[in-house]
Amino acid sequence: MAAVLEAISIGKTYPGGTVANDGVNLSVAAGEVHAVVGENGAGKSTLMKILFGIEQPDKGELRLEGKPISFANPREAIDNGIGMVFQHFSLVPSFSVYENVVLGSEPRNGVRFDREKAIAQVRALSEKFRLHVDPLPAVGDLPVGQQQRVEILKALYRDARILILDEPTAVLAPQEVEELFVAVRALVEQGRTVIFIAHKLPEVLEISNRITVMRGGKTVGQVNTKDVTEDSLATMMVGREIALRVDRAAGRGDVACEIKALKITSDTGSTIAEDLNLQVHAGEILGLVGVEGNGQAELLEAVAGLRDVADGAIYLNGESLRPLSVIERRARGLASIPEDRLARGLAAGASIAENMVATRLADRRYVRHGLLDLNAIKANAQALIERFSIRAGGPAFAVGTLSGGNMQKVVVARELAEQPKLLLVNQPTRGVDLGATQFIWKSLTKARDGGAAVLLSSADLSELLALSDRLVVFYRGRIVAAFHNSDDLTPETLGTYMLGLNTQEPETMRAALQ
Amino acid sequence: MSTLANQRGAAFLREVGRALTALVIALIVALIVIFVTSADPGKAFSTLASAPLSSNRTMGLWIDDVAKLTLTGLAFSLVFQARQFSMGVQGQVYVGGLFAAFVAMSPLGATPFAIPLGMLAGMLAGAVYGFVPGYAKARFGASEIVSSLMLNYIAILVVNYLIRAHLAPAGSGQLMTAKFPDAAIFPAIIPGTRFDLGIAIALVATVIVWFLLYRTNWGLKLRLVGHNPKFAEYAGIRASFVMVSAMTVAGSLGGLLGSVFVQGRAFGNLAQNFDGNLAFEGILIAIVARSRPLAVPFVALAYGYLRQGAQLMGIRTDVPTEMIAVVQAIIILLVASSFSLPGKALFKRLLGQSPASAASAEAAK
Ligand SMILES: Nc1ncnc2c1ncn2[C@@H]1O[C@H](COP(=O)(O)OP(=O)(O)O)[C@@H](O)[C@H]1O
Ligand SMILES: [Mg+2]
Repeated sequence: MAAVLEAISIGKTYPGGTVANDGVNLSVAAGEVHAVVGENGAGKSTLMKILFGIEQPDKGELRLEGKPISFANPREAIDNGIGMVFQHFSLVPSFSVYENVVLGSEPRNGVRFDREKAIAQVRALSEKFRLHVDPLPAVGDLPVGQQQRVEILKALYRDARILILDEPTAVLAPQEVEELFVAVRALVEQGRTVIFIAHKLPEVLEISNRITVMRGGKTVGQVNTKDVTEDSLATMMVGREIALRVDRAAGRGDVACEIKALKITSDTGSTIAEDLNLQVHAGEILGLVGVEGNGQAELLEAVAGLRDVADGAIYLNGESLRPLSVIERRARGLASIPEDRLARGLAAGASIAENMVATRLADRRYVRHGLLDLNAIKANAQALIERFSIRAGGPAFAVGTLSGGNMQKVVVARELAEQPKLLLVNQPTRGVDLGATQFIWKSLTKARDGGAAVLLSSADLSELLALSDRLVVFYRGRIVAAFHNSDDLTPETLGTYMLGLNTQEPETMRAALQ
Repeated sequence: MSTLANQRGAAFLREVGRALTALVIALIVALIVIFVTSADPGKAFSTLASAPLSSNRTMGLWIDDVAKLTLTGLAFSLVFQARQFSMGVQGQVYVGGLFAAFVAMSPLGATPFAIPLGMLAGMLAGAVYGFVPGYAKARFGASEIVSSLMLNYIAILVVNYLIRAHLAPAGSGQLMTAKFPDAAIFPAIIPGTRFDLGIAIALVATVIVWFLLYRTNWGLKLRLVGHNPKFAEYAGIRASFVMVSAMTVAGSLGGLLGSVFVQGRAFGNLAQNFDGNLAFEGILIAIVARSRPLAVPFVALAYGYLRQGAQLMGIRTDVPTEMIAVVQAIIILLVASSFSLPGKALFKRLLGQSPASAASAEAAK
């Protein structure tokens, strides 16, 4: 296979002195999906910006179809058939899809913008590459997955032969990832080349033909996807053996949390989940499996006290939680790692120290007579930063300045600062790099070993299978299956229950529900 | 830790730099407007730039404005930090002024308690007036912007009516009450000027607001609610309580400003439309100060100078005082649109940001 685009010995140092790329090599063959993987900060985006003419390399050269080339700006890269979709979109929300796509290169009818033609062209492109985007609605009304496909259309409209996707899956739900992959395959079938940046390895293994691994600004190597496993790839990325397996619970204690005939309804009165019966023992992790939107998240919110319950009961160590407020539940040993750290788990503009104490404002160690003990608050943050190896300048830094993985560690550190009795966890590692994922998993199993009953929900089946001792499957707001975790249990088996294709014998289910 | 100090220093310098840039640009525009409208632009501009310093009296005018701007700036800063956009300071000033006047005109007005009791009455009245839109929002989901603005009109109309119909000396035809007894009027710090107790009150209030926000449990909760209300709820902070109490405390500052207005040497009585729209200028002060209480007096100092300069220019030259409105608008636009978060959020709320663009702003994160 001839290389269509090559980067040779690229070096790039940012004005602040950060060496982002140092002797980086990349060779992309025509018609392939070439993945570039590496932890956050490995220099992937920098390399892509160089390929797209946004950044200029200090060293090295680019070759397009064997000929040396350089791009002074993105315009020149686009003219040479390169397109790029960024992590952060650049769309005009109030404009329609087709207006966004053609913006800057509108088809004209004399001097007038030929709307009919633009719509037709966008529709044709969308069908040709199986992107399924309607040209007419305003972009701001579309879900994120669709907005991303509008960005892809923008590049294709400008005749991109080589399409760079920078961490496209980070913002997507699992179903949307599948839809994206359909489009990527359609692109390759039609002779386009795709460069795909990611750090979730199962996705990379599924979609790519070849993989270039980066670490600390250097290329570690290039491999054929069929020759590697998730573990070998992870080891290349992190640079040390990395165990993506964790130990199962050694044994479990008594029932800590019991949920009986719980019913949850939405504000409008429609049923979200009903007839939920669950027991979680101290020292075990119960995995909540299900396609997102089948009631798992709402169950966790209801237990945390963030959502009203229509009927049923929730007990923690024999005490009913329903009459208790959020603060009172927390005082009884409840901790919770919410689904979306920025939306709910943190105040990005507040300092690390303030975030770490926010759930403990009734604690006399930090607040006395209504006054803050700033020294205690700072010392608490300092200790947690060290204990959870959070990479941050110090307790007074705003949480918003941290990377995704470190933000998540702030949440985990706060919730696990003291051994919880009941721990609610939702999507603990979404958008978090491998090193941090491993750390967060270890923290969760440590809390479990310390005696916490853990309810874990995740869109990532491999995460659920890696961590859970038992699993229950949610489908349309009901529990339809339950399993004791074992090596025989596969994502495929769970999948058939998640999609409602299979049902379990009541006895089997009852046995695994204990 | 030194990196932190550097970072903070850099952030501080950046903020100051931006505020100064906005000021310079606004002054340049002012200069252009003066050139276009004035027969003697040189005189007009030098009046604008130096008149407040021309005598003890004008300096007193300036400092009197600074005190009042500081108080309204603090009131707005407090609600902005909780991300509430109550616009009610003006209404609070009126009810605060009214109740301070009641004390001053009662038998108590001639006693040594007149000043503290007047201030207290003003603060209580303002607090009640600030509580109302907060409660309406927490209880019924009423927009605090709308309800607080409506309450402003009610307060102004009621106070003006009471003055005209009941409080002005009968048969005098005046639209103000009689002068309060001396015991009820703030003593001058520099005799013969308006440099009075007001500025001391403003500075003490600054320190108290700073302390409340950064040293108390309540202040931390308030700021967390302002940063992310959903996070606050998740952490078990009662967001609605914080919200209502923030508006109530801000209301007491507005009421205090009312007392400073009527009991200060500038008035010493209760007159119709006494605030001259100054209460609203606290929005600008708070936005430029980025709702930081300790920055508020400094911004008030600079802005109050311009404001006084413009007023003196209006009196002494052919350029109308309204010119300052142009400068004001430019500063607000520059500062609010380019960098201040509460400013931006406020603008979004006021302009009725469409859900579409809000959604994409979320997605862009
Ligand atoms: N514009 C920039 N200025 C200074 N440093 C940067 C800039 N962009 C990225 N960096 C730094 O360069 C390194 C590589 O970043 P990046 O290429 O974004 O990595 P990745 O995409 O693999 O996460 C990081 O340490 C990052 O902080
Ligand atoms: Mg990147």
